[in-house]
Parts: sequence; C-alpha cells; structure tokens
Amino acid sequence: MLIVVDYGLGNMRSICGALEHIGIDYLCTSDRSVINDASSLILPGVGAFPDGMENLRKLGLVDVLDRLVLSQGVPVLGICLGFQLMAKVGYEFKEEAGLGWIDARVIKLETTSERIRIPHVGWNDCVHTKNSPLFSGIHEEALFYFTHSYHMECFDQRDVSVISFHGQQFTAAVQKSNIFGTQFHPEKSQLYGLSLLRNFCTIAKELC
Amino acid sequence: MFRSKLFTPDYRYTANFVDSWSIDEIVLLDITRPEKRNPELFYTVVSAFSRKCFVPVCVGGGVRSLDDFKRYLDLGADKIAIGTMAIQQPEMISQAASRFGSQCVVVSIDAKRDGESYRVFYNCGRDVTSWQPEDLARRVEDLGAGEILLTSIDRDGSLEGYDNELNSIVSRDVTIPVIVCGGAGKWQDFVDGFTIGGADAVATTNVYHFTETSIKNAKQFLHQKSINVRL
Repeated sequence: MLIVVDYGLGNMRSICGALEHIGIDYLCTSDRSVINDASSLILPGVGAFPDGMENLRKLGLVDVLDRLVLSQGVPVLGICLGFQLMAKVGYEFKEEAGLGWIDARVIKLETTSERIRIPHVGWNDCVHTKNSPLFSGIHEEALFYFTHSYHMECFDQRDVSVISFHGQQFTAAVQKSNIFGTQFHPEKSQLYGLSLLRNFCTIAKELC
Repeated sequence: MFRSKLFTPDYRYTANFVDSWSIDEIVLLDITRPEKRNPELFYTVVSAFSRKCFVPVCVGGGVRSLDDFKRYLDLGADKIAIGTMAIQQPEMISQAASRFGSQCVVVSIDAKRDGESYRVFYNCGRDVTSWQPEDLARRVEDLGAGEILLTSIDRDGSLEGYDNELNSIVSRDVTIPVIVCGGAGKWQDFVDGFTIGGADAVATTNVYHFTETSIKNAKQFLHQKSINVRL
C-alpha cells in the first residue's frame, strides 16, 4: 500500500486529493505500525526543516523510514519540505540533521538582483539533467509550481535529475535509485503534476 | 453569461473551471464582517476548492491564532492570508513562519489614499491604523512573512486599474513577492501592474466574471507584452 506520511506539517489534503483524483489507493497516516508495512511512500510537507525533523522523531518514524527506504528499497517521493528532509543537513533557522538519504545540504536561496524575490513563489521552468522515469511522458517545457526559500545543494551531481533557476541555479528534483524528490509541488501543478504522481505510482508498482 | 439581479456568484461554478482556465493560483477570502461570519460555510468552500483545484490555494478571513492556521491548512489551504492579526498580534507572524514556513504566511495589507501618502486599514476596512503600507510591509517581512497581498481600497471593484503608485511604493521596499489586487478592469491593467506597479503577481475578481475565455486571453495578452507568464 502507498502510504502518505502525515507528520503534522502541511497540506495532506492537497496530496490526498490529487491521489484520489487520479484513482490511486493510498493511506494517509502518522501511525508507525501502519507505515511499517508500506510498499511505497510519499513524504509531503510544508514548513520549517527543524520542525519537520522534530515531528518525525516525536512520532518515532525516523528509524522506520530509514529501514524501509535504505534497507528494503521501498520507493519514496519527497515533496517540498519532505524532499528537503531527505538531505544530510538543513540550515533553516538553525543547523539540523536531516534523514540523510541524499548527500546534500539545505541552504537559503541567495539573490543578488532586486528583481528576484525570496521566497521563490510561482510557476517555473525545469531543465532535465538526466532521464528520470518520474518525468516520463511529461513535456520538457512543462512548468511546475514552487514555493520555497531554501534549496537543496547536492554534493553528488548524479543524484540531480532536474534543475531550475531563480536568481541562482537550484535542485528541482532528485533521483537516487528508489529515492525520488521534487522541490516543486506536483499536487499543485495541474495536469503535468498529476502525471508525475501517476508516474511515481507506476514506478512504485514496478519496483515492488 | 449575462449578469442580472438574479445572478448570484457561486463558488462551485468557478471551481469547475480552474484547470481549463489556466488559473495560476486562487485566493479565497472570507470578507464577511466578523459579527455575520459563518465559519462552517466558509470551511465548506475552502474544502471544495482545494479538493478540485490542483493549483495553490491561499485562504484568509478571521484568522486569529495558530489553530486557525492549522484548521485552514487541514482543509487543504496551501497558504494563509492574515490582515487584522498582522496588525494586532504581529508576533504571531514569526510564530506562524517558524511553525508552517514563511511561504505559508501571506500578509494582506488593505491601503487607502490619505493625502500625499497611504494609510493601512484593517478589520474589513473599518478601522484605520497609524501604519503607512510600505512601513508595515517592511515590518512583516522582517517578522518572516512570505508574501504580501496588497489591496487598494479606493480601487477595489472600480475596474479603473490598479493603484500603481501604491503598488510601486510597497514593492520597491520589500524583497518578498507582492501580489496586487483591486481595480483591474482590462488586460492592459495587468501589464501595468507588473511594469509600473512592480508586482510579482496580479490578482483579480470582477474582470473574470464576464466571459469564459477571460483568463487565457488575459495571459495571452500579457505574453505579447513580454510579461513572463504561464500560458
């Protein structure tokens, strides 16, 4: 079963609504024992990095997620904060260790131009740096919806699948074997976003 | 569609067209005066919109606590607009930003011309503050707000175009995105909102009530005028 991990931060209804719309069976829960049996995972989230990690720890989910993703190879899709939490460390408000699945750090977007506003809010282009099945069948010029002030800086460029630009280049999507993540919100990116979620569910079925 | 006295705007009508009209984002504000407010009804509207619309939804109206933030987010909102709370309990901006992230906190500033400058109003435009909009905008940016929704009370509903003097005063003083609202009546008004007003996004209500292809045409027009929009 696809599990949407509810760790108390952000818009569960958005992601669940999108999954229902495309006809995917899922369970949205924060229950450790249910998550334990996941065949694939979506880690959504909107909010601050330290709060995200604190909530995951409080719910006792860190070791469960580690085992599923790292040992069992369960496919996972991180979205926005859920994507950022997969990094080794974050620097939002304070230094905080992340889940550490991706060799990366999460730092503030920097801009030198007055015309470039932070947070980066809105629809933006994507540049594909490698083929990822997550984007299969999705038009290369498709725009996705972003809203963030921090970005993931990957130390191993092989993990990066999509980049985008907002005052600076940043990571828009990653893939490292069974680990997928997007800085943008597929559940808020209309038809292309729904296609991406559908692709993830297809990949998840094939991998299991 | 013809507007007559019998026509009552219905959110369910609009919600059906969000995808096909290529709307980028939706702002839902409960502007009912506090004494007449029916929160349950508004929750239904928020929930119906967020369920059907796969674009970001910003919700506001009557938000006074972090619990109100949480309630709207649970209903499917992506960001929360606050007005009165930003004036009366500015410290809540920082608390909300640290709990939900800055991108979630939109401060709605309603301003009205006051001689040579502008003045901020709150409580559905009934109470005046000592704030000038650009000062309040800077203050809320410092406190951690992620966006500003700037409404001109004078122009709201007028279809005379945005108050771009107000817009440029505010947008040049902050580094967070400014959404301008109030007064758009024709496509050129959107262009002026970006080029003269310095807006990062333009919002509108009335101008879209009239035709089916409004939004696509408006965005095509912006594209022709070299404004970078999603078509």
